[in-house]
Amino acid sequence: MKKKGGLLVRKAVDATLTYAILIVVCAIFLFPILWLVLASFSKTGSIYSFKGFFPAQYSFDSFRKLFTDTDMYNYPKWFANTLIVSLGSSVIGTALTILTAYCMSRFRFKSRKAIMKTTLVLGMFPSFMAMTAVYLLMTQFNMINNHFGLILIYSAGAPMGYLTQKGFFDTISYSIDEAARIDGASNAQVFARITMPLAAPMIVYTLLSSFVWPWSDFILPKLLLKNKELYTVAVGLMSLDNTEFSRFAAGAVFIAVPIVIFYFGLSKFLINGLSAGAVKQ
Amino acid sequence: MKSNVKKKTRASVFFNRCGIRCKVLFHKIGVAIVNFFRRMRAKIKATNARVKEVLTQGNGKVSASMLIMGLGQLLYKQWIKGCLFLAAQVGFILYFVFRGAKDFIGFFTLGVRESNAWYGIEGDNSVIMMLMGILSIIAIIFYIVLYVANVKDAYRIQSAVDTLKQPQTFTEEMRSLLNRNFYKTAMVLPILGVCVFNILPIVFMIVIAFTNYGGEIVPPALIDWVGFANFGKILSLGQFASTFFHILGWNLLWAILATALNYFAGLGLALLLNKKCVKGKVFWRLFPILAYAVPGFITLIAFKYMFSYGGPINQMITQAGGTAIGFLDIDAKWMARGIGLFVNAWLCVPSSMLLATGILSNLNADLYEAAKVDGANAFRQFTRITLPYVLFATMPVLISQFIANFNNFGIFYFLRGGLYLPEYFLASDTDLLINWLYNMSIDNNYYSIGAAISIIIFILTSVISLSVYVMSPSYKQEETYQ
Repeated sequence: MKKKGGLLVRKAVDATLTYAILIVVCAIFLFPILWLVLASFSKTGSIYSFKGFFPAQYSFDSFRKLFTDTDMYNYPKWFANTLIVSLGSSVIGTALTILTAYCMSRFRFKSRKAIMKTTLVLGMFPSFMAMTAVYLLMTQFNMINNHFGLILIYSAGAPMGYLTQKGFFDTISYSIDEAARIDGASNAQVFARITMPLAAPMIVYTLLSSFVWPWSDFILPKLLLKNKELYTVAVGLMSLDNTEFSRFAAGAVFIAVPIVIFYFGLSKFLINGLSAGAVKQ
Repeated sequence: MKSNVKKKTRASVFFNRCGIRCKVLFHKIGVAIVNFFRRMRAKIKATNARVKEVLTQGNGKVSASMLIMGLGQLLYKQWIKGCLFLAAQVGFILYFVFRGAKDFIGFFTLGVRESNAWYGIEGDNSVIMMLMGILSIIAIIFYIVLYVANVKDAYRIQSAVDTLKQPQTFTEEMRSLLNRNFYKTAMVLPILGVCVFNILPIVFMIVIAFTNYGGEIVPPALIDWVGFANFGKILSLGQFASTFFHILGWNLLWAILATALNYFAGLGLALLLNKKCVKGKVFWRLFPILAYAVPGFITLIAFKYMFSYGGPINQMITQAGGTAIGFLDIDAKWMARGIGLFVNAWLCVPSSMLLATGILSNLNADLYEAAKVDGANAFRQFTRITLPYVLFATMPVLISQFIANFNNFGIFYFLRGGLYLPEYFLASDTDLLINWLYNMSIDNNYYSIGAAISIIIFILTSVISLSVYVMSPSYKQEETYQ
């Protein structure tokens, strides 16, 4: 009897501690985001007009200014630019990545091992070590100040991260392919009719992750886009003046919202996708 | 006294183990190198034998293909293929005569004519010449591959004809590209893209590390090859060397601390959320996912403002009667580093939590039941079951996270970007090598030194990650968990 009571107390203490830690952790995660959202509704631009954590006065002004006052900072245009670049590189990049991953998973050809090792080694080079070279290349191709150039670079680099997708294809059983092949399907047909539909969750994950990368990247657009009208949101927001803090916050909230909705809706795909890169049992 | 002895033996056992591990590691690397050379020798032998076979057994038509690409195929009446090979040969020769030869030579000279506005001379642009030279070398390699394929193809037709078989027709070969050789069709575009936008720039930067490009010497001035001088400068010359070693030490420390912190915090959070007593898991999980979803640069700028003098943290401190703290000031060395670690954890823990959640859901619950029956407490269950399993499953991810942290550009670029300290050369005490690289090559035009630094970064990260991988349980006991 006594022992049981002790156990109950211990369980209660354990649960309280767990919840306490969870609340603290979640508060830490929420704090900066909440602050940013509040800041986007503050009436004045500067952060010095805050009362501690909260803005002194609230208004929708910064959102209205974001879309109407476009002389200096053309946010709607930036938003459209970002959308074009992200959608383009997401679709092309996903197609290339899925094709690469499928081939690496299902075919055994002579240069396969060599390709796998090469991508591994290439991945270890500092990512923007080659930035100057990319810049020079783009000037040679006449693609400075050009969104298509950005899409090209993003989607060309996407197949380098094929390993997650390959891991996923490895888990799809070969017997389905074999059955289709006996029925006379060619490998191209097997890929289009059988593997693609089965890989739908992985395709969603790839689309999402290759959409988010250009959506929030700032180094490459900053290097390649010199014209203010062509900026993406990331570069544009960074070019904002220090006194425009609430405008920055409003712009940030506005581009974060679609991604947050995507992630919440697709969190199951995310977990599966992230762990697909791990070693399989 | 007794416990002291015990400790000593424990320590010695630990060091012994480390020693054995190192020995095993070196042994493994040695074996790998020896094997590599053995395999290379076998490969070269096999290739030699094949070349000999083609040279001695090939008939006149194969020799015709060797002389002029596609001629043999045409003699065998394979018109389309023959014409394609022929066209490739003509195209290459035209390219080489009109452009390639000049580019190829230009790669070695890097320009001889200096521009002179006074006399109206338009000089050579060394950088463009280098880039075009690399392209011409790639074109030559491509041509050689095509040439070998052409000879092989002619020989294959000969063997088919000699054994009275019908050689494959052109349509059959095209159709096989959708079936048996589907991978060739599918991989053309990805490989082409990676070659142009990943490999070519990397090769270009490697090449740049051996020139004197940068500083005063940018086009229109002529650039020269300098051998290993840039590496010598980084490792020995006062201003570069001391900055390099200072930053390197901090960078290694950062990569280890940040990776460990993110990993264990993520794992801990996942375990916490997995506990039976936690109700509303979906709700709790929303917060990390929210943090994960907000684009990184937004959070980083937000954090920069938060820790600034006008930010909410300092405002709360002043309201409470304290004085504002310069969290990211010039002299805030360790505080700024700590804040960097915290901000990085804030950004990365959610993804590592999601990863751990996915992996824990695969873990067999029976193991824990068995452990409970054997009387293992929660801590022992963690160290003996959860940790080995998760470590095993995530080792490749962990290594890539280590590399990502080693080259984590964003954190200090946003928190303390553009800050140069007097005792550092174009860097601050929180900057990582990658930030230094950025400051040097993009902000200050030290291209060749920057390229040399990136090669050093590459060598460091690849050596570390390879040795970690060889020592890791995923590599050592691949069978245990299968």
